[in-house]
Amino acid sequence: MKTNEASQEELIEGLKQLDVNVVDGFVDQFSRPLFGVILNYTKNPSDAEEILQDTLLKIIRKIDTFRRESDIWPWMKKIAVNNAIMWLRKQTSSRKREVRLDDWMPQFNDDGELEYPVFSWSGDPEEVMLNRELSSQLYDAIQSLPFEYRAPLALRDIEGYPVKQISSLLGLKEATTKTRIHRARLFVRERLAHYFEGRP
Amino acid sequence: MSYFLNCRECVDLLHDYVEGGLDVDDHKELDEHLSVCPPCLHFLKTYRSCSEIVQQLREQKVQIPMELQNRLKSFLKDRIGKADLA
Repeated sequence: MKTNEASQEELIEGLKQLDVNVVDGFVDQFSRPLFGVILNYTKNPSDAEEILQDTLLKIIRKIDTFRRESDIWPWMKKIAVNNAIMWLRKQTSSRKREVRLDDWMPQFNDDGELEYPVFSWSGDPEEVMLNRELSSQLYDAIQSLPFEYRAPLALRDIEGYPVKQISSLLGLKEATTKTRIHRARLFVRERLAHYFEGRP
Repeated sequence: MSYFLNCRECVDLLHDYVEGGLDVDDHKELDEHLSVCPPCLHFLKTYRSCSEIVQQLREQKVQIPMELQNRLKSFLKDRIGKADLA
């Protein structure tokens, strides 16, 4: 998402002046994509709405600190991501649906060999997202991850942040971040394997 | 069948393998294991595929209800009206 420079300049000035019309336009233009970013961290609608509300407020409050020569969308997105992480860290209610990761890790026999047959499946990622049932499985899998695993996975695989930045954002050692991303991927892989292979 | 790496060790290395962070020796050992172990090769393909599928969420187009947008506008106007942005 990229705003053209003239409209970005008008937006920044309008938000600084707290111009109500500009604020309305800001909500019209950015609430949907920001909502999309936030939904990667929580599917709970009331949580997402509160995070979005707080994010919009923070963007207006911090608009003076934005460096004008850069594009404003990545800056806004970063505020949304930080806000979602900080907000969800404090929540305990969002943990009700979390699963035990160990139940979904690959199983090995005593010789360290994979204990069950592994089938090869894959799909064109774009086509997969058009498959409602499958994308629903994917959303469910990610949302049922414990927050400590969901956040690193979303930051790495959805937002594309480097491991170093994720570690800094979450206050983790890089090795811990890598382990959590890996275990989260193994969990999602296993959930999708059940879907693709028709396992219960 | 015995390999230098077993499947468990192979799976443990997949993150660094797909991210390009493995040292030369580990990379070689993993490649050797993959060349003789179809289950691990399938596992790698599906592990990688999952990551690519999750990446698609980056481009997801969500809808936002009009009522929510209206609530957000009212909330911000209220805070601006009270000069309560801190």
